Amino acid sequence: MTREVFYAHPRERVWAALTDPAALGQWLMPNDFQPVAGREFTFRTKPGPGFDGVVHCRVLELEAPSRMAWSWRGGPIDTVVRFELDAVEGGTRLRFEQTGFAGLQGNLVRLILGAGWLRQARELELEAANA
Amino acid sequence: MRPDVFRAVADPTRRAVLDLLAEGELAVKDLQPAFRISQPALSQHLRVLREAGLVSERRVGRLRIYRLEAEPLAGLRGWLERYERFWDERFDRLGRVLDGAAAGKDAVRAQ
Repeated sequence: MTREVFYAHPRERVWAALTDPAALGQWLMPNDFQPVAGREFTFRTKPGPGFDGVVHCRVLELEAPSRMAWSWRGGPIDTVVRFELDAVEGGTRLRFEQTGFAGLQGNLVRLILGAGWLRQARELELEAANA
Repeated sequence: MRPDVFRAVADPTRRAVLDLLAEGELAVKDLQPAFRISQPALSQHLRVLREAGLVSERRVGRLRIYRLEAEPLAGLRGWLERYERFWDERFDRLGRVLDGAAAGKDAVRAQ
């Protein structure tokens, strides 16, 4: 999963919103984040099905004011999220990536859309019935 | 979303099994040549998939035939789509925080 978002604000300001725990709490989720590489922290939100409401993270990479990566484990998923900030004309481009289930998405689309198995299943049933 | 569905498809061998079953029903002996694992190991993977409701099993004579069950996959896909929407919403909200629109916690809570 990747996203690119443009913000009409200087990179330092966007970086601050990504790395200040209070600001993170405003736009993402309440947390005990500290901008220190290797530090573990959590986000807490409402629980859902198969999810106790806690996202367990660790700061994997931190390079002010442009790069940051966290491990991101919550409910059934174990992923990595990565933020990259580029200073561009008139503001900042945020590039976001969540990896760990990217391959899974491709598989799913193919499996769900590729309904060839339905037809084949019927053929097999016919064969079995005629056997 | 059942967590065991996600765990079941998190494994590359099991995803490969699902891929093969997407082409049609297969018995273990048909699946076996595609993998470099023992038949008990493959059967174990099939058991995990069956417990997650992703495949069903039926017996034809001495053969166990496996078939892909699409419904849990559709649920999984919906779950992933919600995850994508989650980030879209949060990045919109980040924009509002940066713009100073979310002045204080009430504005955030009101969303």
